[in-house]
Amino acid sequence: MNKKRLLLAEDDELLASLLNFRLQKGGYEVQLSRDGREVKKHLAEHTPDLIISDIMMPYFSGIELIDYVRKELNLSTPIIIISSAGNEENVLNAFELGANDFISKPVSPSELIVRVERELKKI
Amino acid sequence: MNPKDLLSQLTRLEHTLNDFSYEELTAAEASRLKKSFQAFRIRLENKIFTPSNSYSEADTDLQEEQTADNSKEKDTQPPGVDKLVAKVSHEIRTPLNGIIGFTDLLKEDKLTKKQLERVNAIQTASYTLMEIINELLEYSKLSAGLEQFESVDFNLHSLVDNVMYLCNTLVTDKHIELITTIDDDISKGLVGDPSKLSQILLNLVGNAVKFVERGSIKLSITLKKQIGDQLYLEFTIADTGIGISENNLEHIFDSYKQAEYDTQAKYGGTGLGLSIVKQIIDNLGGDISVSSKLGEGTTFRFMLPFTKGSIENIVKPSTANSITAEALEAVKGMYILVFEDNTINQRLIVQRLNSWNCKSYVTDNALYGLNLLETNQIDLVLMDLKMPNRNGFEVTQLIRNSKIESVRQIPIIAVSADFSYQDRENCKLNKINDFILKPFSPDELLTKLVKNKNSMKKTLKYESQAINPKATVYSDATKINLSLILEDCLGQMDLLEELILLYKQNALEFIGVVKLNLNNEDLDEIAFAAHKIKSGLAMMQSKSLHTIAEQMQKLCKTNGDRKHLNFLYNCFVEEYPLVEKAIDEQIKALKQS
Repeated sequence: MNKKRLLLAEDDELLASLLNFRLQKGGYEVQLSRDGREVKKHLAEHTPDLIISDIMMPYFSGIELIDYVRKELNLSTPIIIISSAGNEENVLNAFELGANDFISKPVSPSELIVRVERELKKI
Repeated sequence: MNPKDLLSQLTRLEHTLNDFSYEELTAAEASRLKKSFQAFRIRLENKIFTPSNSYSEADTDLQEEQTADNSKEKDTQPPGVDKLVAKVSHEIRTPLNGIIGFTDLLKEDKLTKKQLERVNAIQTASYTLMEIINELLEYSKLSAGLEQFESVDFNLHSLVDNVMYLCNTLVTDKHIELITTIDDDISKGLVGDPSKLSQILLNLVGNAVKFVERGSIKLSITLKKQIGDQLYLEFTIADTGIGISENNLEHIFDSYKQAEYDTQAKYGGTGLGLSIVKQIIDNLGGDISVSSKLGEGTTFRFMLPFTKGSIENIVKPSTANSITAEALEAVKGMYILVFEDNTINQRLIVQRLNSWNCKSYVTDNALYGLNLLETNQIDLVLMDLKMPNRNGFEVTQLIRNSKIESVRQIPIIAVSADFSYQDRENCKLNKINDFILKPFSPDELLTKLVKNKNSMKKTLKYESQAINPKATVYSDATKINLSLILEDCLGQMDLLEELILLYKQNALEFIGVVKLNLNNEDLDEIAFAAHKIKSGLAMMQSKSLHTIAEQMQKLCKTNGDRKHLNFLYNCFVEEYPLVEKAIDEQIKALKQS
C-alpha cells in the first residue's frame, strides 16, 4: 500500500519538527511548508491526501488556504486546522469555508494522528 | 578618498541586501535589514554627497587632493577637512557596526547554505567598507599629525607570529608559502610601538598575499646596526608576485596611487595603504624603499629604530606553550563578546576564537554590546581599553551596573597595548577580572580564557524584585514537565533535546527582536514576534511566558501603553532564565533515569 501524503503547513519550527516526526513515524509521507507561499507551491506540484494547516501563517492564513483549496483548486481534500487557544471565531470561519476538523494548541501529536486517521477513513 | 569608491561599495552592499528575497528570509528579517540599510544610506548621502550640503565643499577638496600626486598639496588643504573626515567616518562606522553585528546574529540562526552565502557576502562587503573608512580615518589623522605613537615593551617574536598567523588566514586557496626569519642576535624584548609595527607588517604582507598567486612571501628581520641600547632593525618583505612596472614604482607611496586603475578594480582598497605605511615609518624615524620586476616579484625594505627592552617587563604566563587539549576542551563552545574598534584586531581575535570553537561577537559600540550581553548567553568579555567613543573602563561600568545579575558578574578581561600602574589600579576599581597585554600570543589568550572561565559563576540568577507585584504574571517555571513532551517524542531523547535547542533559540531571538523594536517603536514587529513564539511556548508548557507574549501581542495591536509593554518585556527577560534553568535540570534528570 502506498503511503498517504500529508501537507503540513506550520510556521512554528518547534511544533513543525515534532509533528513532522510523529506523522512520519505514524507511516505518513509529510510535505512540510513554512508559510503560505510554500503551501501554494506544494499544492501546485502534488495534491496531498490531507492538509493540516495552522490558522496564523505568514503571507497566507489557514483561512485563506481553505478558501484557496476549495474554490480555486476545487479540491475536496480533507483539511484539519490548528488553532491557537482563544480563536474560536476563526475556527467557526474555517468550518464555514470547508475545514473538516480542528485541533487546538498546544497540539497533542497523538490526538492529531487519531484525527488524521479518522478523516482519511472517511474518504 | 574618492567618494565614488564609497558609493560603489555601498551600491554593492545594497545589491547583496536586495538579493535577499522574502522567500529566503522571514519577512521580518529581510525588511529589518533593508530598512536599516536604506536609512543608513540616505543619512550618508545627505550628510556627504548632497551638493547643497556644507560638507560638499570639503568633499570637492578631497577629490582635488586626490588628483594631486604631490604630497605638498596636502599642506594646502583647508583646515577642518580632517575633522570632517573624522566626523564622517564616525557617522559611517556606527551604523556599519550595526549591520555587521546584525549579520553576526543572523548567522547564529539556522540558515540554509544559500542564505549563509549571502549573509557572508553582506559581511564581506561591510568589512571592506569598514576597512576603507578606517584607512581614511587613519590617513587623515596621520596627515594632521594627530596620531599618537607609543613606546612600550613588547615581544618581537610573538608580534611577528601574530601577524603571520593572520596573514596565513588570508591565503585561503592560494599556493603561497609564508616564510619568516628573525636574526638570532635581535633581543626578543624591544621598546617601541607594537601596534604600529603590526599595522605596517600586516599591510605589507597582506598586500603581498593579494598580489601573489603562487610562490612565497618571505619576511626577514635583521639587525642593521646597534648604537648603545638603540637597535636599528631592517625588515624585508619579498614576494614572487606579479611585480610593479618602473613607471608605477615611482609613485607607489603617493596617496591614492595604486599602480593602475584596473588593479584597483581587481584587488580593491583605497590605495591609501602604502602611503599610510610610509607616513607611519617616517613618523617613527625610519625609512622604506621598494624594488620590483614585472613578473618576478616585489621587495619592500624598511628600517625602524627600537630600544632594547627587557622581556621581563612583558606580562607573560609562566608556561611556554599552554595550548593543550585540555585547554582547548575547556574553552570549546564558550560565547565571548569582544569590544574592539580596530578591524584588523577584530578579525585576528575572531579567527583565533573560532579556531578554538568559541563563538564570538565583536563590537566597539557600548550600548550594542550591552544589549548583546543582556539578551544572549555570553560567558566572557574581552575589553579593549582604548576605544574611540567610550573607553573600556566606561563600558565596563555600564556592564557592572547592568540590571541583570549574571551580566554584572561576567568575567571581563581587559586588553591593552600598555598597562600603566594607574591602568592596573583602574582595572581593580572597575572590577575587571584580568588583563592581557597587546599583542598577545594565542597561548597567552587561551590561558587567560581558561583561567577566567573557571572563575565564572555557573548559575544564572536573575533578580525578581523588579517584578511588579500587581502584575498577573507569576513564575511557574517549576511546573514544566518534560516527560510528557518526551512521550510525544516517543521517548527519543535527541529529538527532545533538538526541540529544546530550538525553543531556547526562539526565546533569545524573541528577546532580541522585542528589545530592538521597543527602541524603534515598531509595535507591528513586536506583535508578530509575540505571535510567532507563542505556539512554541505553549508546546513547552511555559504558561507564564506564554501569558506574557499574549499580553504583549494584544497590547501592540491596540497600540497600548509603552510603559506596560516595557514592563512585560522585563517580565519575560526575568522569567525566561528560570524556565531555561528548570528545563535544563529536567533534561539532566531525564537523562539519568
